[in-house]
Amino acid sequence: MSTQGKVKINKLPTGVPGLDEIVGGGLPEFSFNIIAGAPGSGKTTLAHQFVFANASSEHPALYFTVLGESAIKMLRYQQQYTFFDPAKLPDSVRFINLSQIVLEKDLGAVLEEITKEVEKANPAVVVVDSFRTMVRKPQSDMDLQSFIQRLALFLASWQATTFLIGEYAEEELRDNPIFTVADGLFWLRQTAERNSIVRKLQIIKLRGQDSVPGLHTFRITEAGVQAFSRTFGLTARKRNPPGDRRLSFGVPELDTMLDGGVPEGDSVLIAGSSGTGKSVLATQFIAEGIRLGEPGIVAVFEERPEAYAQRATSLGLDLESPQNDGKLAILYLRPLDLSVDETMQSILDAVQMIGAKRLVIDSLAGFEMALSPGFRADFRESLYRMIFALTGIGVTILSTVEVDESFTEFPFSTYSISFLCDDILRLRYVSIDGQLRKIMVVIKMRGGNHAKDIREYEITSKGVIILGNRLTEYQGLISGIPVHSD
Amino acid sequence: MTTPTELRDLAQRLLTYEAHAGMTSESVASAILRVYEKLRHGLGEVAGTAGFQSLASRALALARTEVPGLGVARIAADGSLHGLGEIEHQMHTDKDRPDESPACDGGIILIARLLSLLLLFLGEALTLSLLRVTWPGAALDDCSSENGRKA
Repeated sequence: MSTQGKVKINKLPTGVPGLDEIVGGGLPEFSFNIIAGAPGSGKTTLAHQFVFANASSEHPALYFTVLGESAIKMLRYQQQYTFFDPAKLPDSVRFINLSQIVLEKDLGAVLEEITKEVEKANPAVVVVDSFRTMVRKPQSDMDLQSFIQRLALFLASWQATTFLIGEYAEEELRDNPIFTVADGLFWLRQTAERNSIVRKLQIIKLRGQDSVPGLHTFRITEAGVQAFSRTFGLTARKRNPPGDRRLSFGVPELDTMLDGGVPEGDSVLIAGSSGTGKSVLATQFIAEGIRLGEPGIVAVFEERPEAYAQRATSLGLDLESPQNDGKLAILYLRPLDLSVDETMQSILDAVQMIGAKRLVIDSLAGFEMALSPGFRADFRESLYRMIFALTGIGVTILSTVEVDESFTEFPFSTYSISFLCDDILRLRYVSIDGQLRKIMVVIKMRGGNHAKDIREYEITSKGVIILGNRLTEYQGLISGIPVHSD
Repeated sequence: MTTPTELRDLAQRLLTYEAHAGMTSESVASAILRVYEKLRHGLGEVAGTAGFQSLASRALALARTEVPGLGVARIAADGSLHGLGEIEHQMHTDKDRPDESPACDGGIILIARLLSLLLLFLGEALTLSLLRVTWPGAALDDCSSENGRKA
C-alpha cells in the first residue's frame, strides 16, 4: 500500500514551551491521554495550558472538575498564569462541576452527564480533573474498566482530544486498565533533593508519535509549565557538516599553534589553574569573532556581565558596543535551584536569538557550582548533550575549566570532561629562574595537526601575548619545575 | 464593613433587569429570587452545588451584619435560598416602589455580597464573564473595588 492512503494524524500544540518537541511535534488529535503524578506536580496547570492553547469558540474545550480542589479556587489560582485568558470563558473554555453527581451517583451517571455536555457543546478538547477522585469512590453499576473504555470510545468518536488527570503512585503503573486504554501517558514527578525541588516529566507512552524518551526537566513559572527537552529542541535541526574553516583567537602565535585556528564547530577546552589567563583567552576568542562578524555568547557564572565587559575593556577589547548591537550576549547564570537543562536552554535560546557562531562557557566549574546539588549528578551528561547539539549546528564552543596545579601530575581537567572536547589547550605555571612564569601547550586537536611546542606567554594590557619561540633550553616543563638543559 | 456602593449598584441593576423581565404583578422577593436562582444555576455549573452553597452561606452571613432582618433567610444544602418571602410578609411593602422595600434591601445586599465574594476569589474579568452568560442583555461594567480584600 502506498503511504498516500495512510491517515494523517494532526498534531495539536500543547501550549507548553518545550513540550511539543518532547511529544514529537504536538499532541495527536483525538487522542485519549492521562496526566498522572503526585499532588502539586503541575498536572492541572499543564492541562489548562493545553486547553487555552487549543480552545476557540468554534472548537471549545470542556473542563470537568470533580472532587478535590475547589473549582473556584482552581480558577482563582490558574488565572494567575499568563496563558490564562479570561476572555475565553465561557464561550471557548467552559468549566463544569461534576462533584455532586460523583458524590450522589455512580460512574454511569458521570458518563451520562459527560456525554450530555459533550453532545451539547461538541468540544475539541475535554479534560476531566481529577479523574482519580471518581475512581476512588466505591462503584456499583459500572466497573472502572468499562467506564474508561466507554468514555474513551465516546470522546474519540466525538473527535475530542482528551486529558484525564489523576493522582497516581508509580507502582500503580503496572496492571492498571486505565493506562492500557490511554493513547498517551504523561507522568509528572517532583522530588526534593537536599534543599531543592527537582521536577521531571516523562512521556511513558504516546501512540502514533515519536516522542523523546527519558526524563525531561520542567519548571512551573508565572507562564505555567515549561519543559526542557533532553535534546534541547535541536533534534529536528539539520546538522551542519563540519567545514574546514578555522576560527582565530586573535592571538596569531596561538592560531599558528592550532594549525590556523580552532576548527569551526569544535568544542575547545582551556584548562589551567587560577590566574593563568583562561578567561582572558576566552574573551579574546569572543572579541575576535565579533571583529570578524561572528556573533557570540558568553555564559559567565563567577562574575557579573558588567564586570566581565569592564575587564575586557582593560584589555583593549570592546564588549559593550556589540552587546548594544545585538551581536554579543553576556549571560549571567546563577540558577541556584535550576536544573542543568534549564540553564542550558537559556544558553541555547540566546545562541539562537542572536545567531551566535561562538559560545564561551566561563567556567565549567562555576557552571556546576551554580546548579542545585540535585542536578549536579546530571552535569556531565547534560553538558555532553548540549555540546553535541550546538556543535552539530555549527556553533564553536570554548569552555574554561580550572584544574588544581600539581607539580607531579599534568591533569587536563578535574571534571573528566576532556572526552567532550575536540581540542584542549593547557595553561600552567612553571618555576623558571626564580620566577613563576606561564606556559601553554596544545594537548589535542581532534581535527588534525597542531604544534607540539610548549610556549611561554604573558598576560598584558593587550591580553595574552606569546613570547619568543618554544622553550628548548628546559627539560620537564610540564612538571612545573623544569631543569635547565645545561 | 458595609457593601460597596458599586456592588450594590450592580446587584440593583440585575434586580431591575429581572424585574422588567418578569411580570409586573410579581413580588420583589420573586425578582430577587430569580436573580439568585440564575446565579445559583450559572455558578453551580462551575463551582458545583456544594461550592455554590458555601459561597452563598458566607454571603448571607455577611449580609446579615448589614440587614439583621435576613436572619430568617437560609441557604439549603442544594444552594437554594429560603425565607426571603417571610421578610416581605413581615414588613410593609410598597408595590409601586419595590426597590425601597426591606426585602429588596436585604436581597440586594445578599446578591451584592455574593458578587463581592466572586470578585474576591475570581477577579473582575472572570466574574463579569460569568454574569454576562447569565444576563447577556444587562449592562455590566466595572465593579472591582473589593478585589483582593477579605470581605
